[in-house]
Amino acid sequence: MTEMIDGSGKSILITAGLLVAVLFFQLPLSEGAEKFRYMTSVYTDDKGLGLKQPEGVACSGESQFIVADSGNGRLLRYSIKEGAIELGTTEIRLEKLSYPIKTEINSRGEIYVFDRKQRSIVRLSPTGEFRGFLQPVGLPSPTSYVPRSFTFDRIDNIYILDILSERVLVLDTEGRYVRQIKFPAEYGFFSDVAVDFRGTVLLIDGVDGRVFSAAKNSTSFSPLTSSLKEYVRFPASLTTDERGRIYLVDRNGGSIVILGQDGSFLSRQSGMGWKEGSLNYPAQMCINKKGEIFVADTNNSRVQIFRMVE
Amino acid sequence: MKIKGINVAHLTFLSFCLMGFLVYAPLVHSANEFKLKLGAKGQTCLKCHETFNETLKSRFVHPLLKRGECIGCHVPHTSSHKGLLKADKTKLCYNCHKEVLPENALSSHDVVVEGNCKVCHDSHGSNNRFILLKSGSQLCFDCHKDVSKSVSSVRFTHKSVVQDKGCLNCHNPHASAESNHLLQKKVPSLCERCHKTDQLVFQRKHMNYPVADSNCNSCHNPHGSNTRGMVFDVAHAAVAEGKCTECHQKPTSLETKKRTTQLCRDCHQDMVDQTFNKNRVHWPLVDKVGCVNCHDPHASKEQKLLQGSVVKVCGSCHGDTVQLQEWSIKNPENKRLCEPVKKGNCIACHSPHAADNVLLIREQDISFGLCGRCHEWETHSTHPIGEKLIDIRAKNLSITCLSCHNACGTANNPSMLTFSTTHELCIQCHVERLK
Repeated sequence: MTEMIDGSGKSILITAGLLVAVLFFQLPLSEGAEKFRYMTSVYTDDKGLGLKQPEGVACSGESQFIVADSGNGRLLRYSIKEGAIELGTTEIRLEKLSYPIKTEINSRGEIYVFDRKQRSIVRLSPTGEFRGFLQPVGLPSPTSYVPRSFTFDRIDNIYILDILSERVLVLDTEGRYVRQIKFPAEYGFFSDVAVDFRGTVLLIDGVDGRVFSAAKNSTSFSPLTSSLKEYVRFPASLTTDERGRIYLVDRNGGSIVILGQDGSFLSRQSGMGWKEGSLNYPAQMCINKKGEIFVADTNNSRVQIFRMVE
Repeated sequence: MKIKGINVAHLTFLSFCLMGFLVYAPLVHSANEFKLKLGAKGQTCLKCHETFNETLKSRFVHPLLKRGECIGCHVPHTSSHKGLLKADKTKLCYNCHKEVLPENALSSHDVVVEGNCKVCHDSHGSNNRFILLKSGSQLCFDCHKDVSKSVSSVRFTHKSVVQDKGCLNCHNPHASAESNHLLQKKVPSLCERCHKTDQLVFQRKHMNYPVADSNCNSCHNPHGSNTRGMVFDVAHAAVAEGKCTECHQKPTSLETKKRTTQLCRDCHQDMVDQTFNKNRVHWPLVDKVGCVNCHDPHASKEQKLLQGSVVKVCGSCHGDTVQLQEWSIKNPENKRLCEPVKKGNCIACHSPHAADNVLLIREQDISFGLCGRCHEWETHSTHPIGEKLIDIRAKNLSITCLSCHNACGTANNPSMLTFSTTHELCIQCHVERLK
């Protein structure tokens, strides 16, 4: 039989064999190729009241996360252990918080919430008591601002995306003005801000599908990527992991796009749909210290949790 | 002088002859690649294609035809292209007329980009300059019917549109390296060729505001309108009444009294307050540009002073969604397209300023509140919908119209379904059908 196969025939057989091995034994096609694996979803609080179009989710430590249950106008604190949601959800419902769409927890456990209706940032104690609205102190002219989003860096400085005066305001933990970074001259519309482990400030322009960055202490933004519209429809939120990789939440496309530190495209995860593992108009996402990924799956009225696997 | 009986002068002459033959023979051969009889050229073609004898009598004839060089464009025996053309009809003209589409063009005529030169030109000859099919603006109006209709019906027509070179007074026919809309120059430089901004009349008409460097088209319809001064027919009340100081500082500068949304609120208080009381304000309303992101503050062709049609304005940011809508319209299979999608009327379902619902949807109850306005449920489908019916794919959702349809369009899927076949859609929930 082998005599009947010439040299080129052998190479075809070897290639086909390798292909079969890859397909059937799931050999990695390239080293380091990672993807989301669905773990579980959060649908309700302890009393069985369902989430309603949640838009925010913030991770704290290894096991806790807070959901901004936007449609119900409340926050919910959950714990997760070994891939399962534990009983004992805490509901945080405040008179001064009407429509939470984004939440973050700083290193001291304080909860900050962005209320879309009031367009203001609300400060809460680690246990959820109202501490007041974030009022920047000592802003340079122009003093008026409209926050669109916010985030923290590793030392709890607050970064506010100010769409009225076209800048990112940097405040210290007490809300005192530290510095500002002006928006670039050309952009579509910025909808979220993130700070990576090096202190690089990142902006996502959903209209043009571009990421802009400003190195630590820089006073201006420059494009980190060209248009990513090939991979995303309307990225409206972003976050980073401990390795500096950038995660774009594609609101209209129902997916998460992962970029390298340099803005290079790495992969696109999940996709538009209703079934568990798929996303429908997702909003904020966060990554906890164990590398678990939480996504506010807004139009499916749930929060989905994924694990990154190789 | 003679070398072994050969006259050097003759030798030199012969050498030149030989060189001449070597240099010119290939050219002569290529010019007569079809080995036509001497003097045959177009005459041979005209023996059969007699109608071109009439064309040749036209005032303007394509130079190749005039010289009888039909083979400049046609192959006499066989060709892969219709009309025995040498190349595809969309590319042939560019072999010689590359300059009509400069590389740095800021705007270009669609038909030129597509290579459809025959839309405007007769490739052989005509009685109009540049072998155009029709003379003057009439040719343009054959396609740009909206402009034609507007120009012929408005009370105040821009003289430039109807006089002299018509459309070509302001526009380039092929492309413009200077401006958008094929304009020969950017506005206001283009307008300043006729309208002198330093004259007292001009200044008085503009309430002495320093508008010389402004975009004239933000108030004036360049083709004409029913309003004196060719101001767009949909004009902001303050502009129509000449009350510029309602919004602007005194005529020393064009600065507005307040930032846009705050400024607009001075008159449109109820509307702005209602907007800001909703859960979700459309973000552009509260950015630096505010209302002017979508509306023109002075005048517009569109109702509500919109900067363009609804779909165009929305598409300037939400291009991905409008692309779906456009694909859906182009899809021949998509015969049951929702009317607002077909018309690009995004605001039929979305509230452009603010809403309490995600995606700025007007109604919380999508099925009966929104879709039910046009679609009578019982006659539409027998599939049950409603709050009590849980979507098994995501248990916090009930079955709504959007469980099966994508209301903005789904490109190639029929009936605006989210999946390409009904089977694929149904087995999402009716898993038992798979067994």
